[in-house]
Amino acid sequence: MNSDYTDLLELSEFYILSQKYEEAIKILKKAQKLNNREPKLYYNLGIAYEALNDRDKALNSFRQALSLDPKFKAAQEHLDRLIKG
Amino acid sequence: MRQFVVIGLGRFGSSIARALTEKNFEVLAMDRSEEKVKEIEGIVSQAVVVDATDERTLKELGIKEFDTAIVSIGENIEDSIMVTLLLKELGVKQVIVKAHNELHAKILQKVGADRIVFPEKEMGEKLAESLASPKIFDYIELSTEYGILEIVAPKKFCDKTLSELKLREKFGVSVMAIKRKMPYTKADGSPDFKEEIIIGPGGVDEILQGDVLVLLGKYKDLNKIEKL
Repeated sequence: MNSDYTDLLELSEFYILSQKYEEAIKILKKAQKLNNREPKLYYNLGIAYEALNDRDKALNSFRQALSLDPKFKAAQEHLDRLIKG
Repeated sequence: MRQFVVIGLGRFGSSIARALTEKNFEVLAMDRSEEKVKEIEGIVSQAVVVDATDERTLKELGIKEFDTAIVSIGENIEDSIMVTLLLKELGVKQVIVKAHNELHAKILQKVGADRIVFPEKEMGEKLAESLASPKIFDYIELSTEYGILEIVAPKKFCDKTLSELKLREKFGVSVMAIKRKMPYTKADGSPDFKEEIIIGPGGVDEILQGDVLVLLGKYKDLNKIEKL
């Protein structure tokens, strides 16, 4: 996997953990340009959008993560929770 | 204890009668239809089959002793107007009437209805409002003047402490609670979050991106924050 891409993904996680969700989204969009076929990227995007209460974008992101990896349990759990909530 | 009379036991009337009973109020429910009365019998304090347009019947039931009457007569606009008039003439303090259209509402006003409601319209407007502004989750009415609003923290508030924001001085609202998604790293290294609630936050508490604020204040002040 491209190391720039991995760095960006890690940076997005750092921003999420620092509760800087908008910054995390910016970084994830950059990462998306390098690799748009990775479920984890969409999962992280979903987490950031959900934390910002942007339900629609969070739903889309978790769905995208699941379309790339239908067994992605955490993405499925978040998706289920958003749909029920 | 306040006493209510609900006249007309359609969907709206029976819901109100049930809700008031659940709040431990005494409720007299009435309708012309035996079937509708039977449905609510045993739930409310008293349920009777009567023609509410008959003045003598209303007098016999001691209607004037009730604090509030809710008139929710189905499609028959004439009956609804007639009953409203009779209730006011008999001295019921507060008469609340469900209106079907603007003309009906105008007439009700003229015959003395104290409050006119359009349940479908009001529900529709509330829904439209919540759909149009997704950042608003909930509004709880405390009185005609005060309410509680749940709102996603406006961007302007983020990364500032409550004492820096001075919401009480600037907007006249108090922050009752902050709902926050607390991020953490899971065993597999991926991020996730837990929902936490900070009750009665202090001046040193900082507002972070994605926080949901529970605000208490006057509607006019809460509206100002919604528009930020």
